[in-house]
Amino acid sequence: MIGYVSIGLLGLLALSIPVGIVLFLLGFGIDAFFSNFPLTKGLGNMVWSASNSATLIAIPFFVLLGEILVRSGVATRTYAALDRWVSWLPGGLVHANIATATMFSATSGSSVATAATVATVAMPQAEKLGYDPKLFSGAIAAGGTLGIMIPPSINLIVYGFLTQSSIPQLFLAGLIPGLGLALMFMLITVIICLIRPDLGGLRRTFPFPQMLRALIDLVPILMLFGMIVGSIYAGWATPTEAAAVGVAGAFLIALAFGGVSWDMLTQSLTGTVKITSMIMLIVIGASFLNFTLASAGLGRELTEFMDGLGLSPLGFILVVVVLYIVLGFFIETLSLMVVTIPIIVPMVLVQGYDVIWFGILMIVLIEMALITPPVGLNLYVVQGARKSGNLNEVMLGALPYCLTMLVMAFLLIAFPSIALFLPNALQ
Amino acid sequence: MELKVIAILRRLNKGVALFVGAGLLVCATFVLTDIIMRRFGTSLGGTEEIAGYAMALATSWGMAYTLLEMGHVRIDILRSRADSFKRALFDVFSMIVMSGVIITIALKAWPVLERSIKNGSTANTPLETPLVWVHLPWFAGWVWFALMATTITLCALSLLIKRRHGDTEQFIGAFAEQETLQ
Repeated sequence: MIGYVSIGLLGLLALSIPVGIVLFLLGFGIDAFFSNFPLTKGLGNMVWSASNSATLIAIPFFVLLGEILVRSGVATRTYAALDRWVSWLPGGLVHANIATATMFSATSGSSVATAATVATVAMPQAEKLGYDPKLFSGAIAAGGTLGIMIPPSINLIVYGFLTQSSIPQLFLAGLIPGLGLALMFMLITVIICLIRPDLGGLRRTFPFPQMLRALIDLVPILMLFGMIVGSIYAGWATPTEAAAVGVAGAFLIALAFGGVSWDMLTQSLTGTVKITSMIMLIVIGASFLNFTLASAGLGRELTEFMDGLGLSPLGFILVVVVLYIVLGFFIETLSLMVVTIPIIVPMVLVQGYDVIWFGILMIVLIEMALITPPVGLNLYVVQGARKSGNLNEVMLGALPYCLTMLVMAFLLIAFPSIALFLPNALQ
Repeated sequence: MELKVIAILRRLNKGVALFVGAGLLVCATFVLTDIIMRRFGTSLGGTEEIAGYAMALATSWGMAYTLLEMGHVRIDILRSRADSFKRALFDVFSMIVMSGVIITIALKAWPVLERSIKNGSTANTPLETPLVWVHLPWFAGWVWFALMATTITLCALSLLIKRRHGDTEQFIGAFAEQETLQ
């Protein structure tokens, strides 16, 4: 059955059938070939209960928050403010790209939205100040991936939903690895630019009073992060409710910066519906496949399969890492996550690993998938905002950051407490 | 003719999407009000239940809009290497499969509604919502999605038969990644 699902999955995906539909087809196949009782009879109920979810409504809320924020004009101010603070480092404005992406990750649940936001404000500066386009755009693509690691995160909500693990704990677990990655990105930038100063462009220092004044422009984003994450951990709101708080906060910011108009509102709303339905078709398909796999006795077969492999838990995790890197070249990230959860997560748990920890490891690997060609959404988003040069430059520029992520993945395997320290400390 | 139909469907579903989006906004306001009221020791009650219903309805009615905006994710490994005629074959094939699956879902959604009509069932919650109220629009959403998918497939097939396969690209072809390039 594992073989059937894996081969069927890859074969049908290669035919470019929509990912969500492929998951349903596999579920039908399991029902027809592996199950003793008809599972498809329950399809209607499955679809209803997978979408009738107060947890998942956090997805459209976080998408809407991002859509409003992107159109509010707050990104330009944030970028300018961070420029004042970090552009003295070797690499100059490249650090502002990473820092802005990190800030936006803390309010956005999506990596693509984060990369798009930063790319829109940063790219015009690159040309003006004569930066090397490779490293500059690569840093945006990579920094943007932090959107799904630093809470809030749509991918972690989906992971929590499908594995029935705690979303607040997942959010806490993502914080240190997310900030750690941001620092490592900046470190690798400094190293690269010390070796090859021509890649970094102009380093600039600003007078201290100017730096202080710039802090005011960071207040809206920090407040929004405080509202969303604070309301969860103060016990005032569930992650879903915090998302609604975030929507209100984003609206206030947009109002304050004069970015609210009828057009902006309709575009934000229809954009939200489009992305939400895209995600939900995949999530509902995965729930159905999950259900059929479990009913047809996947658990037993997995244990036998794992025993047959004879791998140590560490050996197994390394195989999983390689698998995600390879699949990450070809499969869009949320799909990659959702299609693999029903098969991989039970195996990982059988090996005695923590479900929260694996969620974070998976996110790091998914982040890599976002910037590895040929299918790496963030590369395309950044290239789309550049309007010149070609995609290869962004890919090359993203490569050092990609390796940094791989280092983070190994650090997580060697020191699981990087992810688990905060959730355990605050339990 | 086919392209005109698609244009009409697009406009129609944009309206639906706007309505769904507005519904989500109302739901967010509702949730927010509840959080604030809880701070003052009262509560609207049942927000979680209503949020769940809103999500189910938004999902079923938003699907067709996403389909027409070519937002449902597909993998582009083999397809991108084919010429325009073979690409159209890939696209039409995937639309036929998709329509089949969506029609199946819509058919299987009917028993859910039928049961809540027959038994007059209510939700096992403080609100005791009569489930027909939410199952009916939810079912209708999946039927709408099935109708849209079938119509789009027929339009594409008809263009394919007329050897105008280049024209199908613009409503069943492009991929999410390519769209962001524009």
